[in-house]
Amino acid sequence: MKQWKFTDVLVTIMVGIVFGVIMKFWDDFYTLIKPILPTMRQLLYGMWFMVGPFAFLLIRKPGAALLASLAGAGLSAFIGHGVQVLMYGFVQGLMAELLFAAFRYKRYNIVVAGLAGVMSCLGSFLLDLYYGYADLEAWALVVKYGLRTISAFVFTGVFAYSIIKALEATKVTTLIRPVSPDEYKHLD
Amino acid sequence: MLEWFAPQRITWLHRANPAWKGLLMFLVMLVLFFSRDLAFIVVIACWYGGFLFVFSGFARRKLLLLCLPFALTFLSSSLTLALFGKGEHVLWQWGIVKISEESVRSGLIIGMKSLAIGLVSLVLLLTTRPVLLFYALMQQFRFPARFAYSFLAALRLVPIVIEEWQTRTHALKVRGIAFSKGVKGVYERLKLYSVPLFAQSIRRAQRMAVAMEAKQFRMNQPRTYYYETSYSKIDAYLTAYVCGSLLVALLMPEPFR
Repeated sequence: MKQWKFTDVLVTIMVGIVFGVIMKFWDDFYTLIKPILPTMRQLLYGMWFMVGPFAFLLIRKPGAALLASLAGAGLSAFIGHGVQVLMYGFVQGLMAELLFAAFRYKRYNIVVAGLAGVMSCLGSFLLDLYYGYADLEAWALVVKYGLRTISAFVFTGVFAYSIIKALEATKVTTLIRPVSPDEYKHLD
Repeated sequence: MLEWFAPQRITWLHRANPAWKGLLMFLVMLVLFFSRDLAFIVVIACWYGGFLFVFSGFARRKLLLLCLPFALTFLSSSLTLALFGKGEHVLWQWGIVKISEESVRSGLIIGMKSLAIGLVSLVLLLTTRPVLLFYALMQQFRFPARFAYSFLAALRLVPIVIEEWQTRTHALKVRGIAFSKGVKGVYERLKLYSVPLFAQSIRRAQRMAVAMEAKQFRMNQPRTYYYETSYSKIDAYLTAYVCGSLLVALLMPEPFR
């Protein structure tokens, strides 16, 4: 059941790329509010962590989070966000992946998805630390990354989970998941 | 739109092996990413800025336009750090805003870093065709064909995704949907857009995968390639250029620092 089929690969990468497109539109919105509302922009930052956990909740196979995250970052790099987004995509995807692995890829609920987002957020913090975005006064550092963590949990946990629920209602997930009533029990 | 991104003339840079060029530019990016040396970053930015304007084969006007977003990033990211960055030697303070020597420096560093990485990325993007990049990755770096072809196939669907996005915007407008304010509004927007977008994309991707397998695409079999890529003398020149740029930037004499 955990074996990857070609369909899974293509769908995972497609999900990553659709997120890349959404992130592009999101980014325009974000650039607009960036100078006016610095706190607001951290609250919307969770969007960047959604792709990995979302793909895992959809495909439910080891490696889905990392692959989708890389695909999304790849698209972002192609449309001109700079090659460094590949690093962010890789690290954020990897951190989410590690969390799902810690639960042996068997938990698909809100809390686990949200925690995966928080792990991605931690990954982005570590990269920011090296890049230099984190050279802030202590209070500003706490506000910035505190808000980002909350946002990560809300976007990857609550939002991603409920969008997946809605997708399940459209029956599109039956195309890619082997159906077993046992799996549906985990969701309730 | 895509024609706009076609170069005026094909230079030697376009003929370098795409995967090798990608690797070199990625390495330069990595060095920049972890560097905290302002002089080093400035020198690298100049090297690759010059490289872009002389060898990319694009008109100066277009290049300036393409560099504009990076200039904006420079401003916004350096400003935040300069105003709220940590530092001891305070120059000016007003409420929560505190400008110090260190914060101005870290603001400058991050701004220059974004600019330099942007220029390095542009050198790669403007002189490389994505299709050839993936073909070269498969042939020279043994990148798995299942990921490369999936990415290329999904890339072709991007215009459809954007079109669907616009259709959705129009549909919501016609139906007179009013979004709530605040976080709830963000959620409503996200859900109303992403559910149909993903449902359609997943269906399309699944159909495409089935079609590819029906045409005998196999994940783990040796294969031949429609576009053949290889190394040439140009790759040696490019490698020498990149090494040279890093060395010069590292060995900058003291007075210039």
